[in-house]
Amino acid sequence: MILDSLKLDGKVAIITGAGRGLGRAMAVKLAETGADIVAAARTQSQLDETAEAVRKTGRKCLIVPTDVTVSAQVNALAAATIQQFGKIDILVNNAGGGDGALGKQLPEITDDEWRRGIDTNLSSQFYGCRAVIPQMVKQNRGKIINIASGYGLRGGKHNFMYACAKGGTIQLTRSMALTYAQFNIQTNCIVPGVFPHNEATMQFFKGGKFIPIGRVGQDSELGPLAVFLASDASNHITGELIAIDGGGLAGGIAPTGVSPENTN
Amino acid sequence: MASSNASNDFSLQGKSALVVGAEHSVGRAAAVTLAEAGARVVLASQEPGTDKRLKEVAKLVNAAGTKPVIRVQDAAMRADLSATVDLAAKELGGLHILVNALDTPAYGPEETNDDTAFDKIMENNLKTVWMSCQEGARVMLRQGGGVIVNITSVLAERCVPNAALYCAAKAAVLNLTRALALEWARKGIRVNAVEAGWLEDESSPANKGDEFSKTMLKYLPYHRLVKPEELGGALLYLVSPAAGFVTGESIAVDGGLRARV
Repeated sequence: MILDSLKLDGKVAIITGAGRGLGRAMAVKLAETGADIVAAARTQSQLDETAEAVRKTGRKCLIVPTDVTVSAQVNALAAATIQQFGKIDILVNNAGGGDGALGKQLPEITDDEWRRGIDTNLSSQFYGCRAVIPQMVKQNRGKIINIASGYGLRGGKHNFMYACAKGGTIQLTRSMALTYAQFNIQTNCIVPGVFPHNEATMQFFKGGKFIPIGRVGQDSELGPLAVFLASDASNHITGELIAIDGGGLAGGIAPTGVSPENTN
Repeated sequence: MASSNASNDFSLQGKSALVVGAEHSVGRAAAVTLAEAGARVVLASQEPGTDKRLKEVAKLVNAAGTKPVIRVQDAAMRADLSATVDLAAKELGGLHILVNALDTPAYGPEETNDDTAFDKIMENNLKTVWMSCQEGARVMLRQGGGVIVNITSVLAERCVPNAALYCAAKAAVLNLTRALALEWARKGIRVNAVEAGWLEDESSPANKGDEFSKTMLKYLPYHRLVKPEELGGALLYLVSPAAGFVTGESIAVDGGLRARV
């Protein structure tokens, strides 16, 4: 029965970047659907808030403060999950983001800024995959969800580290999918569109400008998509990208409502 | 607290759905999925003379949820499609979901394709989809919204020899999906696609035990074909209220085929 295959009762999910935004939204929705959560992020206070929201659903939440750019910490995150819950069913590689170096002129970008951008967004996901795979292979079962971005598919002016890393996310997803298909481990990618987390972005996309569907995304909308990809309903979907972007990647090259002149 | 409430996000209770091409394995799987999730379903055929097959599908849909309405029609006839859509809206009190499972396989060498073959292949695999979308949207625009899913094939992106026009038509359905999504994005209609991988059904050339079939099984990441029912999850997600921000997108259920070189 299709609705049963969408349940996550008794599953254990690690979510990075779980302290706020999309990560928190996915943590809460996975918990609502039956999963126990291991929440990882840098900021303890934010993790505490996420844990409170998760526990309100009746599920458990293990908090593991983690710097995902440090592979030893990511390994420890996986180990803590196994120690606490005995298994790892789901990994959501969500941690990442732009930083102060986004938008800098190319000749002024330092080696450190380049590495930090790649480490925060791509290496972190690689470390996550590497850390959970032995357990998932042992289980002959696992779900890995990598969060990418429209900038993983398209370029942006003065956008080097983030775009390169997010492009790498997509390739990591494909190679993981092919390598671990035989162990019943599915790896897929969510490509979020515009989900503003600051005033400037909200203002820029006010009224849904540039977004075909006419509005920006709400963090909570990531939840059901993560549930779908974490569930048995997607067992034959792997190496796939799913954009949740209000039609942005199908169009989005101009403010919406603009179309060519009629020739008819 | 009790267990999951997946039902709330993915439930289609109170929704009405029309499946065009319900005699095909994929149409059948779509109809059963929609019924299991709570939708009331109208089963419309692609080909005329498919009463018996639609009745068999209706049995499965009935067992899964509710008794469906059956409509044998010729999906290549605009007047038939138009009447079907109006009937669906009337019988079900509106049309929330339209699933186009239209497909007429066409494998053969290019030298056998002539202008007549072109017209036929495009009519059966592309024009029917476009006409159905237009008719469905006619009703949905009046209602203020709705959701359409076009089921196409990985052939839209990964071709094989011996299928030039069929591949072209499948890709056209994919791009039509994106363009229609943009057309109706601010009018409440979402349009998405499901790309089916190589299927385990009677019409699939990869299901014949021959050299082609053996080769496909060797190189498919899961070393097996896709069962039609495995499309259900992607379909349900796309038509559900949970996917309100998803439009112009396609989900491939292909066991990783498109991920490889």
